[in-house]
Amino acid sequence: MVLVQLYGTLRLMLAGKASVELPWCEGDTVGSLLERFQAGERIPVTHKLIDGSKALHTGTIILLNRRNVLHLQKLDTPVNDGDVLALFPPGAGG
Amino acid sequence: MAADRYDRQRLFWGDEKQQRIAAATILVAGVGGLGATVCQIMARAGIGRMHLVDRGRVELSDLHRQSLYAECDIGKSKVEVARERLRAINSEAGVVVQETAIGKGFTVPGDVQVVVDCLDNYESRFDLYAAVPDGGLFVHGGVQGDRGQVLTLVKGASQPLQEIYAGSSQPEGAIEVSPYSVFVVAGLICNELCDLLAGSPRLVNRFLVVDLTIHTLSYLDV
Repeated sequence: MVLVQLYGTLRLMLAGKASVELPWCEGDTVGSLLERFQAGERIPVTHKLIDGSKALHTGTIILLNRRNVLHLQKLDTPVNDGDVLALFPPGAGG
Repeated sequence: MAADRYDRQRLFWGDEKQQRIAAATILVAGVGGLGATVCQIMARAGIGRMHLVDRGRVELSDLHRQSLYAECDIGKSKVEVARERLRAINSEAGVVVQETAIGKGFTVPGDVQVVVDCLDNYESRFDLYAAVPDGGLFVHGGVQGDRGQVLTLVKGASQPLQEIYAGSSQPEGAIEVSPYSVFVVAGLICNELCDLLAGSPRLVNRFLVVDLTIHTLSYLDV
């Protein structure tokens, strides 16, 4: 299984849902996992993370096992069984 | 130390913690929504010394959330007004001000034990983090709308702030923020600061994420 943790506005959009467990599949990547995550949700949320050309948006950070996927292989980053994927839109102001 | 000023909190956290706070020097970068309340709380808590860094001037649009300022301060230097108000709140707390922007080449004064990031843009936050010496403690706070986060990093041991926030860019225009969320997040920053100064930080490499819309506090490890 892969644990997808939701924070901030993403959690709000999904009626307070804090996390989702998804079955892990051989060959999974961050991108494929996000597609499966969205497929299981009635409300569209991944447009907050990725634009139509599969580029990551700048308002939400995606952390795989504590590491920002921009330092890994972005949406192509391999995901392993037991991994934790966090989707976090930080507060930008001060 | 005045006789009665800290009685209530000493009943709560004891003399040793009070002495550690009184002996500490921190730097608060940004004296706006978060920073104005952070430095006010820390002055009330009995911090030994604070460096305040901000180049801003008080504007009307600050007054709904920036607790140190009033209508009579509009147009004045934030750090100068802050110094005056903090002196009125607690004359024992040392306040040193720098009316400047945080940018590349900024230097953290040598007496600072903890740098507190209350800035309002990623570029300055990353420049501030770069200025923290190796082993230095960095408490980051951010707020937007009805949500925010607090995180403590140890320079050299933690992931750098710019790696955690890689790809994040500043939203265009003014950032939306409720009048009360800055007080909640500033309170959480001071909670971490007081624990950290007492030797027991709880948010090292761990975001505390607060969302007032759905009344949640959550951890996110980094």
